[in-house]
Amino acid sequence: MTSLRLQIGVAITAAMVLVATTANAHHSAAMFDDSRIVELKGVVKELQWTNPHVWLQVSVDDKGARKEWSVEAGSPNTLSRNGWRSTSFKPGDAVTVRVNPMKDGSAAGNFIGAKFESDGHTIGRWN
Amino acid sequence: MRSLGTLVIVLAVTAGAQAQSSSPGPLPDWSGVWAMQGNTVFDRASVQPPNGRAGDAGVRESPPYNDEWEAIYRRNIDRVKAGTFADPVSTCGTPHGFPRIMNVPDVYEFAVTPQTTWILAENGPGILRVYTDGRSYPAKEDLWPTYTGASIGHWEGDTLVFTTVSLKASKDNDVIVDRTGVVLSDASHATTRMRKIDADTIEARMVIEDPKAFKAPWAVTKQYKKQPAGTWAWDYACAENNRNPITDSGKTLTLGPDGKPLDKKVD
Repeated sequence: MTSLRLQIGVAITAAMVLVATTANAHHSAAMFDDSRIVELKGVVKELQWTNPHVWLQVSVDDKGARKEWSVEAGSPNTLSRNGWRSTSFKPGDAVTVRVNPMKDGSAAGNFIGAKFESDGHTIGRWN
Repeated sequence: MRSLGTLVIVLAVTAGAQAQSSSPGPLPDWSGVWAMQGNTVFDRASVQPPNGRAGDAGVRESPPYNDEWEAIYRRNIDRVKAGTFADPVSTCGTPHGFPRIMNVPDVYEFAVTPQTTWILAENGPGILRVYTDGRSYPAKEDLWPTYTGASIGHWEGDTLVFTTVSLKASKDNDVIVDRTGVVLSDASHATTRMRKIDADTIEARMVIEDPKAFKAPWAVTKQYKKQPAGTWAWDYACAENNRNPITDSGKTLTLGPDGKPLDKKVD
């Protein structure tokens, strides 16, 4: 079983701050803090492969309690043209997900990239 | 109510369209799937800071606004900073409109026939119809402002030239040009010259005039790159799972999977 930890990191690099603009094709991104990156280590609960945005629901251990994060990504249309599939994240997958978090500290963020614990493969921006 | 200026434009363009309605030569091949280049700042040539993104606080362009509309733009920029410059398409209920339809992410398809060219934006989705069959604009009593307006064009060799009129004006930012806060008045109209500049690039040169808001015409160029052969365009069902409703104050909320706001402060 994956050790679940919530790591709040402020690991700013110029390259990583450049999140995919397609993630915000449908609404203002004012709620996201693109100067901060939060790293979520947890288990996939659900991938909502829907328009206008794909949503990744991740269950994270937060000081001993389970906390569900909502991670917003681009449209399935553009993501599918960039290597994603509707099955890219399956319930139970152990992952680390990097997001630009909500400014108000609520449990949501804008997807940057993810790394799978099973084999180390990544999706999105990781390096 | 449409302005007298717009009526004059309609009549002038009608005459022009009728005069150039002769059969075009071979039409260009715009088949395939295309993607707009760059982010969704409308005028990337003037954006400050360079490479600034629409929706980021402080990012602005330089439409040739008169003083009155420059003040409106500055107020909108302040609203962007405050997080209350909502994007009307977030409601999944209205189209991007023109000229914004030329500046959206995801992909495009261009369906060219002698009578009509359809610009099909996957995002939205949006459709811009350009009639090249020699028709005239509807009579003034049969024409009303719409998001995408009315476009009549003609072919000059490999270049599609069209003029778009009868555009819905921004009222309380219910239609915008982009998320930096650019909006147009009900007097706006535009002439677009669109052509393939190389095998993989289509260019659209727009000249937007707005006698109420601008001191001079605003020229903006967008480019679209051809995507690999076999690329698909898909449904964009915006209302399928819209987790970003807008509050009365213009704030964009983020809903959890249960439909309840995750935001710590809703309004």
